[in-house]
Amino acid sequence: MQPQFSKAEAANAPEGAIIHDDATAKWFLISSVAYFFIVGIIAVIIAAKFVWPDLMGTMSWLTYGRLRPLHVNGMLFGWLLAADMGLAYYVIPRLCGVKLWSEKLGLATAALWNVIILGAVVTLLAGLNQGWEYAELPWYLDILVVVAWIMFGINIFMTVANRKYQAMYVTIWYTMGCILWTAFVYLTGNFATLFATGTNQANLNWMYVHNAVGLIFTPIGLAIAYYFIPRASNTPLHSHKLSMVGFWSLAFVYVWTGAHHMLHGPISQWLQTIAIAFSLMLLIPVWAVVYNLFATMKGQWHQLRESVPLKFLMSGVVFYLLTCFQGPMHSLRTVNAIVSKTDWIPGHAHMAVLGCFSFFAIAGTYYAVPRIWNKALHSDSLANWSYWMLMIGGLGFFTTLWLGGFWQGWQWNNVSIPFIDTVIALKPIWIVRFVSGLMMFTGIVLFAYNILATALGNPEEAAV
Amino acid sequence: MPATDYTYPSVYFAYLFFTLSFLLAIYFFVRSRKDGYWGEQGEDAKFQVFQDDDKIRRTP
Repeated sequence: MQPQFSKAEAANAPEGAIIHDDATAKWFLISSVAYFFIVGIIAVIIAAKFVWPDLMGTMSWLTYGRLRPLHVNGMLFGWLLAADMGLAYYVIPRLCGVKLWSEKLGLATAALWNVIILGAVVTLLAGLNQGWEYAELPWYLDILVVVAWIMFGINIFMTVANRKYQAMYVTIWYTMGCILWTAFVYLTGNFATLFATGTNQANLNWMYVHNAVGLIFTPIGLAIAYYFIPRASNTPLHSHKLSMVGFWSLAFVYVWTGAHHMLHGPISQWLQTIAIAFSLMLLIPVWAVVYNLFATMKGQWHQLRESVPLKFLMSGVVFYLLTCFQGPMHSLRTVNAIVSKTDWIPGHAHMAVLGCFSFFAIAGTYYAVPRIWNKALHSDSLANWSYWMLMIGGLGFFTTLWLGGFWQGWQWNNVSIPFIDTVIALKPIWIVRFVSGLMMFTGIVLFAYNILATALGNPEEAAV
Repeated sequence: MPATDYTYPSVYFAYLFFTLSFLLAIYFFVRSRKDGYWGEQGEDAKFQVFQDDDKIRRTP
């Protein structure tokens, strides 16, 4: 076995060891954490605007219609996908037993990604918006995203092609799947929609939106969980074969589910039924993943007391199970008639993207950053606080929006209730949403400060 | 032929990607069987996670 070290540890490395430069991972992780904090401020402002609609007056740059797409795109692409890419640059070379194919290409990708995110801030605040959910970025930024993704894909695929071990661990499968599926999903959602109108355009857009979660954030998120849960618990994965079952069933099932966003809408009934059937089949890959990760932790749960990354990881797995049970259930026509378009949906989406995949990314960042910089984590106590603030704030946020969404849906189904009354009735729900959001933002601040203090602070003690 | 739901260029674009994705998925699934992921050695890959294990790295 050839030992592997980060560049910061190179002084203690024996002759012949692999020294990982990790420069690309550093840039992606630090910039993503910074965006997490900055876009978190936008999130709190949006939550406040639900309670105080006149907040910030009528200045167009700060209206809800401009801040909301910035929040969505900033969190999805500025924080989560960038953090996931940074962790992929850290994990894949180690799993392959070789150095990253090209750090220069990686650094160029990181620079381009930051240009895209900063461009998104300016254009979305200026109101330059394509008007499609998750695909709000102007076309010229979309092209840059495609270029950056090709650069990322080449680097990861070439690293895998040069790998030392013939068999590929499931993390590599999911990462490669994410790269290929993103190409398909992103091109369809951002370019194919330009050539469609009406219902077809809406259908393509919702195919993109759902698969942005299912074929971009799910595979890269699971790739991270499959690597860091065994590493953080020092316990081998329960079953690699079962992880392959989960991977292939996800690949076959997910792409057909997008039309469940248009149930009761003007699309073909057969397409709605197919979307419902495949949404229910999602329980197969989900259970394969959740059982595998729970079984890995058998006899090891006590480690959660001491390990913050494990706390985030296993909470993320529970949220993954919950959100992926919710999804198929509200794809049923009867349930969908109540919850569709209500506050239930952002409650569900936040549990997936924040409660599950962001928890995985936070865990990976807490694990990787001290090792990349060869420093002890700045503060274990702050890390614990960041977990509990995000956990309690998140639970308050999710459950409040689910209950509020159901209430809202029941009111909307009663035609004798004027719409404005249903808006006024939700105000207590939005106050709790704001307070929960403040708690989550506090967790983000503690996380971001801890990571930046670790990376930039004095090296008092080496990481263990 | 008159334009219908099924004849928009964007839908053909989606058909093409669906077909490509499906064929690639079939190819890689068959390939994974040939490469032994489902056989007796199928569990070996999971130990790659520990190839750069901290404890191993820190042993003098």
